[in-house]
Amino acid sequence: MLSDNNQVSQIGKEKTTMRIRRRQVLSGSAAGAVSLATGLAAPAIAANEPIKIGYLPALTGPSSSTGVGINRGVQLGIEAINKAGGVKGRQLELIVRDTQSDPTKAVNAVSELTQRQKVSMIFGPVNSGEALAATPLIARDKVPMLHPCWVDELIDVKKYPMAFRQAPTNTQIGGGANHYVVDVLKLKKVAVISDTTGYGTASVNTYVPMLKAKGADVVYTNHIDAANPDLKPEMLRMQSAGAQVIMPWSVNAGFLSRILNTRGAMGWDVPVVGQTTLGSGQTKALLEKPEYWNKVYSNNFRKCCYVNGKLEPKTQEYLDQLKAAKIEFADTLLWWVALGSDAANLMADIFKNAGSKPEDIVKYMNQVKDWPGVYGTVTWTPQQHNGFPDSEVVMCEVNSLKDGAFNLAPGYAS
Amino acid sequence: MLQSIVSYGLAVGAVYALIGITYNVMYSASRVFSFTAGMLGMLGGVLGALFIQRMGLNPVLGFVMVLACGAVLGVVTEILTVRPVLKSIEQHLYVLSTLAFALMIQQVTAIEWGTEAQPFPTLFPPAEGWLDQKFWLPLLACAVTIGGLEFLYRKTLIGRAFLAIAEDSYAARALGLPETWLRIASFALAGMIGTLAGFTGAQMLLAFFGNQSILNFYGFVPVALGGMGSNRGAVIGGLALGLFQQAANFLVGGIFAAVAVFAVFIVVLLLRPEGIAGASTARRV
Repeated sequence: MLSDNNQVSQIGKEKTTMRIRRRQVLSGSAAGAVSLATGLAAPAIAANEPIKIGYLPALTGPSSSTGVGINRGVQLGIEAINKAGGVKGRQLELIVRDTQSDPTKAVNAVSELTQRQKVSMIFGPVNSGEALAATPLIARDKVPMLHPCWVDELIDVKKYPMAFRQAPTNTQIGGGANHYVVDVLKLKKVAVISDTTGYGTASVNTYVPMLKAKGADVVYTNHIDAANPDLKPEMLRMQSAGAQVIMPWSVNAGFLSRILNTRGAMGWDVPVVGQTTLGSGQTKALLEKPEYWNKVYSNNFRKCCYVNGKLEPKTQEYLDQLKAAKIEFADTLLWWVALGSDAANLMADIFKNAGSKPEDIVKYMNQVKDWPGVYGTVTWTPQQHNGFPDSEVVMCEVNSLKDGAFNLAPGYAS
Repeated sequence: MLQSIVSYGLAVGAVYALIGITYNVMYSASRVFSFTAGMLGMLGGVLGALFIQRMGLNPVLGFVMVLACGAVLGVVTEILTVRPVLKSIEQHLYVLSTLAFALMIQQVTAIEWGTEAQPFPTLFPPAEGWLDQKFWLPLLACAVTIGGLEFLYRKTLIGRAFLAIAEDSYAARALGLPETWLRIASFALAGMIGTLAGFTGAQMLLAFFGNQSILNFYGFVPVALGGMGSNRGAVIGGLALGLFQQAANFLVGGIFAAVAVFAVFIVVLLLRPEGIAGASTARRV
């Protein structure tokens, strides 16, 4: 999934500022996208009409902060490509339908995009809940689909042969955290807990066997009512079980902050390793003391993390372009925006090489190898439509947020 | 461990007790179980954080505004969801009308405030243990509320008028008491008590739209345990629930704590259906 972990929802503000930001970015030249488009600005080919892309972000509603961040990158990327001449002389036309964080709205939008608008490709939905509802319909209508959602079941080359993922799966996310705990931190006694949501319980049930397979000793596991205001009993049980690290799986900032506050109040100096919400602004806002965010490591992505205080050159160049355009990162994360830009550039690359017929698009996508995005590298084969490499799923230090990106967690070989 | 059970248990129990009293105050005036009690509790925390934390108002002014909003919502509840269904109260349509109104307000809160829990401002200097506001503030609010209600009902004319309406609304109306206005006043009072519960408990429960269902549910337990309409019973039931819940957290933990709480709740009601402080009613034969 791109799970429902809201950072800061400033949708109204977003709507009023997007236009200015896009222009600013365009005037500041988004070099990554432009360099791609420069090669594409060949003389017009047979058809000059725009290539239609159906786009299903959640721009409003309770799970929209991720979608709002991704939307910035998508819009910036598409506008930069079009400004530079489009794809072989054809403009890319985004047909945006806000899913409002509602699977029903996503389903209705799919029908319109595939049957009435006759789009060449669909990007999204960007939240797993909506993607679970929309993916079978997009597959039924035989439209190529690209999405960044994490739920494993969303990719199945037999059921959904035209669906491709540019982001990691939940299994990769859990695997990245498990790798960090067992192989990097060298900790063996692990407490794995979750809230009682479907996501939380499924994560624990999936990740605990993976941990055991890596040789970890899972000394405590439980599903906890996230509404419980006092987690001290649970923390004491973990402590007495000998846990050296806590792995909480939840997107509930209140629940996660209570774990961190209780750990701090107990003076228990164990690391907490888990999902991206651990590093969210909401979790930070609920901490009783800022230092309770120390030794907390959340999932992130190697290309969007600082290593020894520096980003990769390509990522730094991208960030500089965004900063030159005075893009604020107070309410979003670099990897969200970069993921959106990558999607725009990836789709432009696909149309350039494969045209806009569905079967040609899928044939080309099945052979994409090491496509170098800012957010991540993408490789697909006819048998594997999960495109994100394990090696780029990392953990970061949550208390190191700067310009929307975090420091790589300690212990990784850079 | 004992200190944690007692401090958290009594504090959470006081919040449950206040929500139970909110149910009772509305029930006494109308014979309607209004499922807006949890909504009022949820809004107490959200509006407190909105006025004091986000808008930067003086805490005292923010607190008064929260209570005022609670009173207004209580009145709106009476007008929109209770009065229209009073004539057919035996059909229990109030369950639908009050629940629908509460869910509507909850959805609006989720959209406007957000679905993530947000911090509630610290009103008093941070302190350790019992001196932390999250422990003593709900207890103080509960004590002041129960004391105030006792005074109102026993020492003032308007309080006796409330009791008369609760006892027999037809007879009270025959005596010339303004039943409608007294019912509106009761709902306004309930609105203030409900938001007071949420405001004083928000350091523990945070400013979170999801608190509505929790408070609706756990706030109803003291009413059932203590006896419908009995405020003293609600206080005893609420504090007992809080203590037992916290003890269960320590002893069994996880989701089994909630199971333990409701197992005991069911056993108590099987043994004493009228509640701990409720009186058995005679049946005409």
